Amino acid sequence: MIGALLLFATVALGLGALAGRWSSRPWLLLTLAATAALAAAGLAVGTGLAPDWDWRSAFTLGGQPLHLRLDGLSALFLVLLAGVGAAGTAYAFAYPIHTHSSDHGAPARGRFWWNGLLFHLGFVLVNANGLHFLIGWELFTVCAYFLIVLDRRKWAVRQAGWLYLAASHAGTVALFAFFALLASATGSWDLGPLRTRTELAPLFWLALFGFGLKAGLFPLHVWLPSAHANAPGHVSALLSGVAIKMGVYGLLRFSGWLPVPASAGWVVLGLGALGTFAGIVFALVQTDLKRLLAYCSVENIGIILIGLGAALLAPLTADGAWGRLALAGALLHTWNHGFAKALLFLGAGAVAHATGTREMTRLGGLWRGMPVTTLTFLVGAASMAGLPPLAGFAGEWLIYLGLFEAVVGHGPAGWAAGPAVMALALAGALALATFIKAGGLVFLGTPRSPAVAGARDPGGWMRGPLIALAVLVMLLGLVPFAAAPLLARAAGAWRPLAEGVTASAPPLATLARFHLLLAAVLLAGGVVLWRRTRAQGVTLGPTWDCGYAQPSRRMHYTAGGFSGTIGGWFTWFLRPARSLRRPHGPFPDRAFTREDPRETVLEDLVRPTGAGVLRISTAVRRLQHGRLQSYILYILIGVGALGLIVLFHGGRS
Amino acid sequence: MSHLWELPLRLAFWLLVAPLVPGLINRIKAWVAGRRGPPVLQLYYDLARLWRKQVVKSPLASPGFILGPAVAWVAVVAAALLLPLGPAGSIAGFPGDALVLVYLLALARFATAWAAMEPGSAFEGMGVVREVSFAVLAEGSIIAALLALSAQAGSLRLDAMLAPMVGTGSALLAAGLFTVLLAENCRVPFDDPNTHLELTMIHEVMVLDHSGPPLAAILHGASVKLLLFSVLLVQAVLPVAGLPPWLAGAALLAGVLPVVVGIGLVESLLARLAFRRVPLLLTTAFLLCLFALLMAWKGGTA
Repeated sequence: MIGALLLFATVALGLGALAGRWSSRPWLLLTLAATAALAAAGLAVGTGLAPDWDWRSAFTLGGQPLHLRLDGLSALFLVLLAGVGAAGTAYAFAYPIHTHSSDHGAPARGRFWWNGLLFHLGFVLVNANGLHFLIGWELFTVCAYFLIVLDRRKWAVRQAGWLYLAASHAGTVALFAFFALLASATGSWDLGPLRTRTELAPLFWLALFGFGLKAGLFPLHVWLPSAHANAPGHVSALLSGVAIKMGVYGLLRFSGWLPVPASAGWVVLGLGALGTFAGIVFALVQTDLKRLLAYCSVENIGIILIGLGAALLAPLTADGAWGRLALAGALLHTWNHGFAKALLFLGAGAVAHATGTREMTRLGGLWRGMPVTTLTFLVGAASMAGLPPLAGFAGEWLIYLGLFEAVVGHGPAGWAAGPAVMALALAGALALATFIKAGGLVFLGTPRSPAVAGARDPGGWMRGPLIALAVLVMLLGLVPFAAAPLLARAAGAWRPLAEGVTASAPPLATLARFHLLLAAVLLAGGVVLWRRTRAQGVTLGPTWDCGYAQPSRRMHYTAGGFSGTIGGWFTWFLRPARSLRRPHGPFPDRAFTREDPRETVLEDLVRPTGAGVLRISTAVRRLQHGRLQSYILYILIGVGALGLIVLFHGGRS
Repeated sequence: MSHLWELPLRLAFWLLVAPLVPGLINRIKAWVAGRRGPPVLQLYYDLARLWRKQVVKSPLASPGFILGPAVAWVAVVAAALLLPLGPAGSIAGFPGDALVLVYLLALARFATAWAAMEPGSAFEGMGVVREVSFAVLAEGSIIAALLALSAQAGSLRLDAMLAPMVGTGSALLAAGLFTVLLAENCRVPFDDPNTHLELTMIHEVMVLDHSGPPLAAILHGASVKLLLFSVLLVQAVLPVAGLPPWLAGAALLAGVLPVVVGIGLVESLLARLAFRRVPLLLTTAFLLCLFALLMAWKGGTA
């Protein structure tokens, strides 16, 4: 049954990729059918309708027999992949990539690589063989690369793609070492629970680097903002919604199957808290809408890792129930962030397509021409800001509950949980500021150019995914307990000990009741005030701007101005690029001040390190110059040195 | 089913008593300054008048301009209903309701800020920036305070958490929460509710373009929020929950009144801080709450 669904999805994706070379409609139907099959398989296993699926084949690939398994944890991510994949497919069907460049082959190429990406993401999720896992991992990275550089005539796009490819391979090197060492220690590439082999614990650090880099864990996130900002809307959605979650999946999978070092929980929790805080501060100061969303993904990966870190830390204490709560929160937040961030990226893609720019300071007042995009973006933004009664709050609330209980327990874990709570609290308020900035500058106020004033909502195939994802985010917020069985199965698949995660269903059910009530009252309050306002009559009058008769769009808040206050507190690590020209002389001509956010970690940390390595390599390379005399001299020196060693240490063997 | 009559009763308490608080504060300020001052019930008259007024709306504003204040009002009132009242306890207490309360206030802030961005005014943008920036520190302080109470009481339910600690921790918490109260409710020294110079305001400047029923909802919501913070502060410091009902009622009243007098006195005796000093004061409040948290946490192990 599960096997048939997955086989059908594979065949449909393959046929779709072939059909997509010539025509888009069969591609759309086949790919949507494939995602439906994936969703059905994931939901069947996730909800427990079907037992875990384990399939070993005699068929070998690269010398290894194929071994696939679909358990609760894979199912959770598979459903996410299917949901975001379906939305992105419908969106891609209408997304006119070729109108921005004269590259007419781009849509067909996009369809091919899109199916490749969906297939390999799914392949990694159901894989239980280390070698095939690596192959799938590499191929999905390559597919994602070709999707990022779809609009390849732009220099910035090629640059972003190159950075992504280089960074991903640094991670793959770590993963290669991880799987190879694992295979040599166990004598087989086969993956499965090996929790008793405590000598394997140090391998976790390799996995943390490799998977953390893919997930966008804070200091390793350098590739993420430019790749997500420069890809087409649906590609950003799939990358941010699902592809970076593969790193989370990897960390969950191998921290569940393999033993972890005792300090793993502390490190993961600490890195998560750091990423949560730093990610959102960087997000707030961005001026590019999609870059802002990308940095917000760094924050949310941090939140998820806080939950995972707490779950790893919990077994150290007598009462580990709080770890299960935090894990359930992290899993729920994986879904929430996946769907809501996909929604926001699709919305941002629609804005970028309609107006031709992603600079927030050049947008404004889009609500009138793009009401559907505005409303759906608002839903996603409120969810990302962690506001009740939406999905984002439910997950964060469970993580908070877990961390609070860790502090209440007065154990040593409180030293980690307390600061993590503070990071979450500050990040929550900063996320609110970030999304007021994004929503307010882009959709409200006056349109800041004629192109922006003329922007309209996209066509039905692009609007549909926006509406569907917005409804999904609202439903996940209103009835979060519907996801509880999936969370319980996923936690059980993570570590059998965590099966008691069903204990989190009662708090989720309470929250759901509260959310439903709140939503009803919010609706009622809105209707009452709306009707009262209409009844009293509405007069239109110009915006009150402190007595200015003619408020102009030049007087609006800019993206830099909005985040100036908070950005000022964190200049010491944001290190923005500043340029200032003061007015000079009795008739000053031009004066300006400008502050632009930089890729600080990349430019101030990674680049100098890389340059240092290159300089050392260049210096060492001088030894190799092609002059035979010198080589003979090296040999003589070498032989002489050996002779001396033998002479002085010879007697001691 | 005590809930059937308890909910309307509590709702009536919050909705009807709240507008009294700004009136009392104004009365105290007038008394200190030697003026007669507006009537204590002034806000009730204002609300009734605004509710019957017409709305003037900027052509730039979307329906969110009207719906934002409604969402903010509902969120604040819902947060107030979550707060337990002395021995009467909470009407819908559940583990983690403290966090729901904080995030409901965040929802109110989001809705107010969104509505303020609607007319595209530079001044309202300024107010939004200040509001969301200072909220970062204020929200951090509240969550630190709640975590302190939670670690102290060993529970995540508000009705169990609001059992005050003794001694220094309580004093630290009171000082921290009072500062946050002033900041979150836009009182001096963070903001001046009386000023009419747009450049110096936070909350007032965010509602510059609002008029009629939406403005009434905003003003009433602000008064409920002020009462909510006062009651929370009193219950975090005084052991109200353990008292018999009549005594608890008296204690609550005896607690809220000094808070109100305190706000009035602060407004009469202090000047508004320069904006660049505000983060410093808020950071102090944050640190006070953090120290209270440390005391509660280490106190529990001893």
